Formats: sequence, structure tokens, C-alpha cells
Amino acid sequence: MLPERLPEDLVTKMNEIVEDCMGDAPPYCEATCPLHIDVQGYVKLIGEGEYKKALDLIRETTPFPGILGRVCAHPCEEKCKREEIDNALSVKNLKRFVADKCDDPKDWDLNVKEESEKKVAIIGSGPAGALAAYDLRKMGHQVTIFEALPVVGGMLRVGIPEYRLPHNVIDKEYSILEKLGVDIKLNTKVGEDISFKKLEEDYDAIFIGVGAHKSFILPIEGSDLAGVQPGVDILRKAGLEKHDKVEIGERVLVIGGGNVAMDVARTAWREGAKEVHIACVESRDQMPAHSWEIDDALEEEITLHDGWGPMKINGEDKVESITLKKCTQVFDQDGSFNPAYDVCNLKDIEVDNVIFAIGQSSEADFLAGDDSIELMRGNKIKVDPVTLQTTKEKVFAGGDGAGRPLLAIEAMAHGRKVATSIDRYLKGENLYENRDYEGTYQSWLKKELAEDEPRRERISIKMLPVDERRGNFKEVEFAYTPSEARGEALRCLECQCKLCMQECEMLNDFCISPKDLFKDIIKGEVAPLIHYSCNMCSQCTIVCPHEFELKNHFMEMRKLLVKNNDGKSPMKGHNAIEWHQKLGFSGIFTTTVGASKDKEGA
Amino acid sequence: MGKAKRVFIPGCSLSSYNPDLVEKTLEHLQNKLPGTGAILKCCGKPTKALGQYDKFKERYSQLQEDIDNLGAEEIIVACQSCYLTMSASSPKQKVTSLWELLPKIGLPEEMVGIAKGSDITFAVHDSCSTRDRKDIHDGIRWIIRELGYKIEEPKSTKEKTRCCGFGGMVVPANPELAQRVMKRRTSEVKSDYMVTYCAACRASMVQGGKNAVHILDLIFGGLWTSESDFPTLPKTPISGWVNRYKCKKKIVKVLS
Ligand SMILES: Cc1cc2nc3c(=O)[nH]c(=O)nc-3n(C[C@H](O)[C@H](O)[C@H](O)COP(=O)(O)OP(=O)(O)OC[C@H]3O[C@@H](n4cnc5c(N)ncnc54)[C@H](O)[C@@H]3O)c2cc1C
Repeated sequence: MLPERLPEDLVTKMNEIVEDCMGDAPPYCEATCPLHIDVQGYVKLIGEGEYKKALDLIRETTPFPGILGRVCAHPCEEKCKREEIDNALSVKNLKRFVADKCDDPKDWDLNVKEESEKKVAIIGSGPAGALAAYDLRKMGHQVTIFEALPVVGGMLRVGIPEYRLPHNVIDKEYSILEKLGVDIKLNTKVGEDISFKKLEEDYDAIFIGVGAHKSFILPIEGSDLAGVQPGVDILRKAGLEKHDKVEIGERVLVIGGGNVAMDVARTAWREGAKEVHIACVESRDQMPAHSWEIDDALEEEITLHDGWGPMKINGEDKVESITLKKCTQVFDQDGSFNPAYDVCNLKDIEVDNVIFAIGQSSEADFLAGDDSIELMRGNKIKVDPVTLQTTKEKVFAGGDGAGRPLLAIEAMAHGRKVATSIDRYLKGENLYENRDYEGTYQSWLKKELAEDEPRRERISIKMLPVDERRGNFKEVEFAYTPSEARGEALRCLECQCKLCMQECEMLNDFCISPKDLFKDIIKGEVAPLIHYSCNMCSQCTIVCPHEFELKNHFMEMRKLLVKNNDGKSPMKGHNAIEWHQKLGFSGIFTTTVGASKDKEGA
Repeated sequence: MGKAKRVFIPGCSLSSYNPDLVEKTLEHLQNKLPGTGAILKCCGKPTKALGQYDKFKERYSQLQEDIDNLGAEEIIVACQSCYLTMSASSPKQKVTSLWELLPKIGLPEEMVGIAKGSDITFAVHDSCSTRDRKDIHDGIRWIIRELGYKIEEPKSTKEKTRCCGFGGMVVPANPELAQRVMKRRTSEVKSDYMVTYCAACRASMVQGGKNAVHILDLIFGGLWTSESDFPTLPKTPISGWVNRYKCKKKIVKVLS
């Protein structure tokens, strides 16, 4: 009924809709989430009291709801539209709520695709290695994880302290790997217990996810004294052993303004230090640590010396005190990290330990002698940012060991990216196609808030009282109660465009949004009925942020249909209109009369 | 045929709905604005709406010829589709909506304040085709207030008004959908009584389950209370054609 091809200019105009209609635009939270968890979806389910369904929805994307529900740094919340009214939705805590409430291993989906007979080696069981293992195993590949430590989890366990992430949560959620058939070799350090070369021989692909476990130590005067310690070593000990084995003095000072420094200080406080200081060059509002991490640390009687950098560490053969110098500038005019100090403004603090928490480098000794895999600064492995492939074809790398320090969920997203790449590599497929929406991206949604959108304050979670935290690693944050969780879930603004869909009956009968409808129209795949179902009322245009005039397009389509149908509408029902119109112009029912003679007027 | 400075074109739906209203409107216009003629003919909008643009041009030119033969400089319309169609297709004439005109020339004196004692609140349904014409919205409300009825504004009103369901020739093509749109529109208002200024919109509001009148019913149809008999839908399509024929006779009579 339609011509083979629609007129060029009409297609061009319709393509504007296909391009710019925001009907498919994901909510900000989902686009921001490196794993693109359907946040809005599960939050809505929680609001409806459908907790198990909410959990199932999360589990479609990640097997780590309880871990993420506790430690995810929730980049999604930073983009939450509610932030413009009151406070972001408490997404992280909602996730924890359903994980705690209804995650039962008996319900886990342990289906695996057909066995591929391909073998993949994964070095490291941190979040990057774990999610890569999960995905690759689900895809049907044989997966072996090599882990140097006697436990799984990487920095989730030997970085993040147990008072934030209990080990039983890690163990429970990681147990899905073995249930799926992933082989985990603990106490197996690649480079010592097994060579990298051997892995290359025995496996079809390798993922290096070794993290960054070596604290940088500033080479200042006194940094070689006994009592100077690398921050991650303390955390590792606390995470691995019985907590009382960490050797720490009564007075400690942690250097660093990031999240790791906060964890180190809070761990030292729990390990028995009576006086804990943190010194960092940044002022409080410049500190890289998340504001809530700083708040939690300050609550635990930790003294913050923000805007102070270390000058020298003093002592005979062990640390006795540290001299700090006032920082006058952190970043230079170009915005680079380039601290400057006022060396006349000094202060001494008496301490037994100085702990460095100013960043970590990687250890990639096992690659020594293999020039084909390029390394970067800090022994980080060089990768293609799109595929995470190293300079050696069958070797991939990701997580903290392949670039800047990541958030746990970003490390997981790396694991997923690598799994996709390795799967394609093993199948001989193109590694680069369709990879635009992996990891955080910007949504093309433009949501306007209603002026009268009511404020609804965020529901805070309860915390263990401070005096019950000293000397133990009991979990500090509590989960929401069901009524708190539902109340919080109902704060979701359900960001989406689809404003026209709220107005128009007919669009809802035929499409998800004009974007898909016009895609189909251009392809010639829609029935004439659709074009003849538009009331031509412009309601869609009025609410459309792009002011698309859909009715004009439907009208153009009607014209084309008529042209190709002997000048008549193809709709059966319109035969009557034909007759109506003939009569409406016929002499019987029409007349033209001039003004009355006696009332011709002016 | 004679001549006319300005011509009243009542439109198809109004003349099919009620010839008496056309007659009385024309009489009123004649009183207030001597030199007014009239044309009863379709503007061709339905043809255009189906997408038959060539046919529409051919048909509209017949109407244009009639207007030009009268020598009319101004067209007064009572239908919003006529308003848009003629504004676009008769560049030589000034097109005026009856609803912007009435506040200027006034209502029949005996009707002013007639409804002070009425127990009815009318929800106003604006036509979506002239959603951007504030003067028309204001005129309609002026008329209702001048008569003395209470007004309910629907949630979607004036420039945000919603379609009655009749637009775009959807009824014959997709009747089930049209019915839903009608229902949705009426479900938006609290009052059982609605007033429109388009005869097709009126029928849609009735189909959506309300008692509905045309604004000309209020002006020329006496006092309306909850006791009144409200106009319903035509029993057969023939009655519309009978009415149009009556209308033709009445126009000739008024202007003779
Ligand atoms: C103290 C601290 C607190 C943090 N807090 C948070 C937080 O609250 N929220 C958040 O989102 N992120 C947080 N992070 C960041 C997050 O934990 C990391 O980004 C993430 O763990 C990195 O994952 P990964 O898999 O790349 O490496 P890792 O987690 O570091 O895991 C690497 C694993 O590889 C193993 N390994 C190393 N070398 C070898 C070898 N040669 N052979 C075998 N195995 C080897 C290691 O033992 C380790 O288990 C924190 C990090 C730290 C250090």
C-alpha cells in the first residue's frame, strides 16, 4: 500500500525522532551504575513489598547483592535526581535490605550454557576476577582462579575492614562460584607457586586481576624507622588473621586523605590505639575520601589534621613523633597535584606509629622477563580501554591492577568486560563491536522536576553506638527494617521521559515510545491503522522536550497512503466519510446567502 | 445571491446538531452586525484529515468561490476546525471565531444573568484544535459567567486541554480507541455536566458518559438546571442530514 521507499525528506525528519526521542533513555542511576543494575526496577518492587522479586532482579545482573549493598560507593546516588530536591535515594541500603532479607542460596540460578571445552585462567579473586569467573563460567567455559592468599575476596576482605563487610557475607556470595563449577586454587601465587608461562601453556585465555596491594611510602626523613607501616599491610593482617595480631602502638598517625586512610585509622582504633590521627594535605572539602567515610571516622574519636603534610618522622630507632608542615596549595594552576607548604608553620605530634595510606601500586613480578606484555607506572598492566586486552592477544587485565584505583563495582564491571572480550576471543569474534554502553555512561534523558515535587527526607539507617565499636569488628551499619525500606523506596522519582506516553492513548496501543514506532515506520513495518489512529490533538508535542510534532508525520503518512490508494483512505470505515463529504458540498445541503436587504448595514 | 460584508459559516457539525441554534445565532449577528450573510457548506476538513489533499483543494475552492462571490471580507466561524482550515486557506479574508466576537458584541440582553439560580456547574471542555487561542478560551468563560453558570476547570484545560476523541477522523478508523479517549476525557472532570463549543466535542462528551451541551445551547436554549432534558446523541445518521436541510431553509428565511 505504501511506496517501496518513503520520500527522503520525510525519512530525514522521522529520523530526528528516532535519534533524539528519549523514550528509551535509561534513568540516571542505571546509566551511571558501572554494571547497569536496574535500580529503578528493584526499588519499585521494594516499594510494592515484592522483596524477593527485587532481589531476583538484582541477581540478574550481579551475584553480589549483599557485598554491594554494604560497600558499594554508589556512584548512582550521585546522579540521583532527588539530590536536587532533598537527598539522593538510599540505593545501596535498599540493595542490602533485600539481600539480607531474602537471599537464599537454594534459589540461586546455577544454570550454565553448553560446555565450550575452553579453559580460562584468572589470577586474583578480587571483585574483578570474581565477576569475570562468574560470567565466563555461565558462558560455558572452564574457569580456574589462582589466588595467592588463603581466602577469596581480594580487597573486599583484606582491604575493606570487617566492620563494614563481614566475611560471612563474602563467603556466602562467593560460594556461587564453586557451585557453578569454578575451580578456585587458594594459596597459589602466580610467579611463585606456578609460573605465568605454565598458565599460558595450559589455558586458552588469561585474565590478570591482581589488584594493587603495595602501599606507597613517601621517602621522607625517618621513613625507614621501625613503626612506619604500609596501610594496606595493616588492613591485610586485620582481614586475614585474628584481629588481635596486628601490632599497633597506643598513638598512631595515618597519612592520607582517601577512603583507605579512613579504613586504616578506624582499624587502628579498633586494634587498640588510644589516640588516632589522620593527616592529609587536602582541606576537608578537598579530601578524596567520601564525605560519609570521613564522618564515620570522626565519630570514632579520630583527630583530623586536614591541610597538613608530613615533613619528617622523628625517633632514635623507632618512631617517636612526626613533624607536619602546613599545606598552602594542593593543586597548581594547571590543576595538577602539586602541594606547596609553609615550612615556618610546623607542628609535632607524638606517635608510636606512622602509617602510609597514600595509594597503592601493583606487583607484577610474574611478568618479569615477558616483554610482550607492556606495563605502565606503578607496575600497572597496559590494556586497550575498550576490550581490556593486553599487548598479548590471549592475555587480558583489569581491576585495580590495570589503571587507576577503582570502586568495587567498577572492578566488577571490568570483570564483566573482560568476560565479554574473552568469550569473543575464544569464539574468534570481533572484540570491538557494540561496546559503547559498558561501564558508566551518560544517559540522554532530560528530566524536568515538577515545581511542586514534595520533599521527602531520606530515611537514615541505624548504626552501632560508637562505644560498642571499640576493640571489635562488629558490623557498624544496620539494615533497613521493612517499613523503612518501603518508605525509602517510595522516594524514587521514577525518572524517565515518555511524557507523551502519559498523554496519548493511541501511542500506548502501538509502541513503547515514538522512538521505536518511527523506526518501524521508516522500515515500512506499521499498519495504516496507526496513522489513522492519531487524534491530531498535539498533546504529545506540548509535553515533548524536543517538541516533536508527531501528528504532522502521521498526516504525511496518510497523504502517502491516499496517493497510493487511488486518492482514497485505505481504512474501511472512511468510506462513509467519502459520502458525507460529497453530500456536504452538494446543492441539497448547501446555500450561500447575502445579507438581508433591509439590514445591509455599514 | 446578493452581497455581504461578512459571512457567518456555522459549519457541518453544528448545523447537523441543531438548526435552531444556527438560526438564532444568525439573527443575533444580523442585529448586532448588519451586513452579515451566511454560507452553509463544508470546509473540507474531513477530506484533508484523511490525507486527500488534492481532493481537499478542489473542494475548498468551491467554498472560496462562494465567499468571494458575496464579496465578504470577514468570515465568522462557530467551529474550531473551520477556524483553522479557513485561516490557512482563505488568506484574503479575516477569519473570526464567534467566541472571540461575542464578548465584543454582547449576548442577547434578556439572557444575561439568566442562570444565577441554576444548580448546575458546567465543566468546560476546550477544543484541542485552538488550544493556543487564549482569546477563545477567555471568550467562552466570559459567556458562561455572563449567563451566570458556575464553572469547573478540568485538570487539563485551555492550552493543555485533551482531545475529545473525535479528532483526526479516528472514530471511523479505530472506534474502540476513540471511545477510550472520550472516556478518559470525561473521567477527568467531577461535574456531571459539561459544556463544549464544538458540536463534535459535545457528542464525544455524551459518549464519555456526561450530560453535555453546546455553548450556544446555553445562550439560546433557555435556562438549564438539573431538571432539564439534556440533548443526547442522534438516533440515526439521517437526522443530521434532515437538520442540515432545515438549517438551509432557516438561513434563507433569516436573511430574506
Ligand atoms: C582499604 C580499601 C577500602 C576500600 N573500600 C571500598 C569501598 O568502600 N567501596 C568500594 O566500592 N570500593 C572500595 N575499595 C576499592 C575496591 O575494593 C577495589 O577497587 C577492588 O577490590 C579492586 O578489585 P580487583 O579485583 O581489581 O583487585 P583486588 O580486590 O585487589 O584483588 C586482587 C586479588 O589478586 C590476588 N593476587 C595478587 N597477586 C597475585 C598473584 N601473583 N597470584 C595470585 N593472586 C594474586 C590478591 O591476593 C587479591 O586477592 C577499597 C579499597 C581498599 C584498598
